[in-house]
Amino acid sequence: MFSWLNQWRKLRDASGDVLSMNMRNLGYIYPHNARRDFPVANDKLLCKEILAPLGVPLAKTHFSYRYFYELQNLAGDLGSLDEFVIKPSKGSAGNGILVIAGREGEAWIGINGRRYSLSQLKRHISDIVFGVYSFDNKDAAIIEQRVVQHPDINVLFDRGLADVRIIMFQHQLVQTMSRVPTLASDGKANLHQGAVGLGLDPESGRCTHAMLKGVPISHHPDSGAPLLDAVIPFWDEILLHSKRIAEAVALKYLGIDIAISEQGPVLLEINARPGLEIQNVNRRAIRPLLEAIR
Amino acid sequence: MNLNANKRSLAYRGLITLLVLAPLGLMGFKLYVLDYPLKGLIPALSYQVELAMQVDGHGERIAIQTFMPRSDARQTVLQEQQAPGVFVQNQLSEGMNRIASWEASAVTGRQDLRYTVLVQAKKIQYVLPVGMPIPERYPEQLHPYLQAEEGIQVDDELITQRLDTILPRGQERTLGESLTTIHRHLQDDFTNRNFSGYTDALTALKLGEASCNGKGRLFVAMARKLNIPARLVGGFIMSGGSKRTSHQWVEAYVNGHWVPFDTINDHYAEIPSNYLTLYYGDEVLFTHSSNVNFQYHFTTTTKMVPRYEAQQVLGDSIFNLINFYAIFERVGMSQDLLKVLLMIPLGAFVTVVFRNVIGIETFGTFLPALIAAAARETGLLWGLIGFVLIIAVTATIRKGLDWLQLLHSPKMAVILAVVVLVMMTITAGGVHFGLFELAQMTLFPIAILAITAERFAILSEEEGIVKAMQLMFTTAIVIAAAYAVMSSVFMQSLFLAFPELLLVVMALNMWLGRWVGMRLTEYYRFRHLLRSEAQINV
Repeated sequence: MFSWLNQWRKLRDASGDVLSMNMRNLGYIYPHNARRDFPVANDKLLCKEILAPLGVPLAKTHFSYRYFYELQNLAGDLGSLDEFVIKPSKGSAGNGILVIAGREGEAWIGINGRRYSLSQLKRHISDIVFGVYSFDNKDAAIIEQRVVQHPDINVLFDRGLADVRIIMFQHQLVQTMSRVPTLASDGKANLHQGAVGLGLDPESGRCTHAMLKGVPISHHPDSGAPLLDAVIPFWDEILLHSKRIAEAVALKYLGIDIAISEQGPVLLEINARPGLEIQNVNRRAIRPLLEAIR
Repeated sequence: MNLNANKRSLAYRGLITLLVLAPLGLMGFKLYVLDYPLKGLIPALSYQVELAMQVDGHGERIAIQTFMPRSDARQTVLQEQQAPGVFVQNQLSEGMNRIASWEASAVTGRQDLRYTVLVQAKKIQYVLPVGMPIPERYPEQLHPYLQAEEGIQVDDELITQRLDTILPRGQERTLGESLTTIHRHLQDDFTNRNFSGYTDALTALKLGEASCNGKGRLFVAMARKLNIPARLVGGFIMSGGSKRTSHQWVEAYVNGHWVPFDTINDHYAEIPSNYLTLYYGDEVLFTHSSNVNFQYHFTTTTKMVPRYEAQQVLGDSIFNLINFYAIFERVGMSQDLLKVLLMIPLGAFVTVVFRNVIGIETFGTFLPALIAAAARETGLLWGLIGFVLIIAVTATIRKGLDWLQLLHSPKMAVILAVVVLVMMTITAGGVHFGLFELAQMTLFPIAILAITAERFAILSEEEGIVKAMQLMFTTAIVIAAAYAVMSSVFMQSLFLAFPELLLVVMALNMWLGRWVGMRLTEYYRFRHLLRSEAQINV
C-alpha cells in the first residue's frame, strides 16, 4: 500500500520534467505566443511571404487559389506542370496534401500511385478553398514545386517526404527529431499515423533513438534500412535557418518543420503548438531544457 | 510583462474567490434569512403511472372515456404524455373531474392507446375533533352530498336500524365519534371481498361483506343519514408492477375539510402517499363502446425527482432578488426544462475533467453534455444506442455523398437533412416496436450531430476507422459520466434550490483552466521518460 503510494509520489515528482499538454499550453504557448502572431504558423502563404526575403529556402509557389472561380483556368495552369504538390495554406498534420509525381495522358499520377483526373484535382482544390482541411471555413490552396528528397534520406524510406522538426524557445534550439514516413502512415511524416520518429543529436544531426508508435526500433519497418547513427545532411544549414526563422517571427515557442532536398533544406511550415511526442522520440523530458533557457 | 502576469494572477484568484464566496453567501442568505426549508433538498418519490388500453375493432366507431388525475393540495401532476394511436383525444372538465375521451371511426384490428402520468403525492392525515356536534345546516353547495342516490340508499330503514345498533340513540351523536364508529364497523365487522362488480349500499349491508365500492357506498349512505356530507372517491393505488384494478374510498366533510376514509385497507382519516385520486362521485372509471374486448392495465414505476414545491415557496418570497421560477412560469416553461438548463454546464464540466485531467479525447466539448441532456428522455442506454446509430448511418451516407463529389457547404446541408431523417426513422421505429423511450430521440442536438458525423467520416478516412471508433467509444464513456452526474437527483435538487451554484461550476472550470498538472493518460504516454527519471521499476 505504502510502496504503491511512494511510487505514485515519485512518478508525480518526476513528471515535473515532462512537458505535459496543460503545461505546454499554459506555461509556454499562452505567455510566449500571442494569438495575433499565430497567422504566420497557420497560414503557409503568409509564412512564405514573410520568410522569403530573409533567404530562408522555400518550395516555389506555382499558383495559389483563394476563390472557387479562380479554378476555371486550372487546366491551363497545370498544363505545363508534371510534378507538383497541392496543399491547403491553413492545413495541419499533413492533411489535404496531394503530391503529384507525374502525368499519363489526361491524368496525373499521385506519389501513392493513384490516378487523378482534372475534375478530381479541381474538387480537391475546391474542398481546400472551402476549408475542409482547415479549422476556418475558408482557405487558400497552394500549388507548389515538389521537393525531391535527398538520397541520404531516400535510403531510409523513399515513398513519402520525411521532415526534421526543430523546437525553438526564445530563439534557442531545444530539441530536434526527424519523422520518416512508413507504408502505414501513407507517406505522411505524422507520428500518430505511424511514421518513425528519429531522435537527433542537436549538435550533429545524428540519430540517437528511433521510435515507432512509442516502441524503440533500430531499422525502418518497411525498407529495413538501419536508422540509428544515420546523419541528416545539411545539418549546419538547418540550424542556421532555424535560428533565422525563430528570430524573424514573433512566436517565441515554436516548431519548425524542414524537408531535405537534393539541393539543401526546404522550409515546410512553422508550428505554433508543436506536439509533445518529440520527448518520447528522444527519450528525454524537455522541461529542464526549457527552464534553462528561460 | 511580469507586472501583467502578476495582475492577471491577482485577478484570477480574486475572481475565483468571488465566484465561490458569492454563491455561498447567497445560499446562506436563503437558508437563514429567507428560511429556506432544507427538506426541500431531499428528493421526493414520484410515481410514473402508465395506463395501457386495448380494443379490438371490426370497422365500427369506438369511443373510450376515463378520468385523468388533477393536481390538488395532496397530489401534483408533473408530466403527462399520450400515445393515442389511431384515436383522437378530447378533454373536458365536469365538476371536479377531468374527463378524457378518445374516439376513432372505422376501427379495425387490435388498437392500443397509452396515457402516462408522472405524479407526486403525499400522505395526508387528519385529527378529528372530539365532542363536536354534527352540524344541523350546511351551505347549499354541500346539499348534494347529503342526498340519496342510486346505489346509496340513505333513507332505507335498514340503514337507520344499523346506525341505531352501532350508535345507540340514547347517547349524543357527535361528528368525530360517529365517523370513527362507522369506519370501525365497516373495517372490523365486514369481510373484504376482492370482487370487481357493482355492490350497492344495501346489498353490502345485508351480506356483511363487500368490495371497495360496496363499502364505500355504505359508508356514504350511513354518513349522509347522520347529516354528515360524504362522497365517493375513485382512484388507483400506485404500487409496483402491472395490474388491472382500480380502487374506491370515501371522503366525509368535517369542519371545512374533506377527510378521507378507506375501510378496505383501514386508513382512518388518512390516505397514504401512493393513492392517486382520479375522480369524485359515484362514477365508473372506464366507459367504452360495447363488444370491443376492452382491456386495460396500469403499470407503476417509482422514481426520485427533485421537489418542486420548495423552490416555489422560495420563489414567492419578496426578498428573493431574482425569481427564476416565476419568470419561467410566466412564459410557460416547465421547471423540468429549467432543471435541464441548470445541468448542462455541469455536464460540460464533467467533459472538461475527462479531457484536461484524465486526458480522454471526445468529439467536441459540448457534445457529451448535450447528448446526456437529451438522453434524459430516452434513458442512457437508448440515448447511446441512438447516438451511435445516428452517427454511423449519417457517416455512411456521407461516404456515399463523397463519392458523388459535392462541394462542402451543400454537402453539410444534405448531411443535416440526413440526420433529421435518421432521427425520424428511429422515432417511427421506436413507436412501431413499442420502444417509447427511443421515440424521444427528436430532442437530440441535430446540428452538432451533423458536424460530429462529418468529423467522424473525415477522421475515419484520414486516420482510419479504428481511430474514429476509439474516439466514438471514449465519447460514449464521457456521455455516460455526464449523464450520471446530470441525472443525479441530488445535483438536480441542489441546483434547482441554489442556481447560484453555477458560479461555483464556473470557478471550478476556471481553476482547471490554469491547472498545469499532467493528465492521467500522459502518465502512460510518457511512462518511459518518467521511469528513467524516477528510477523505479514498475
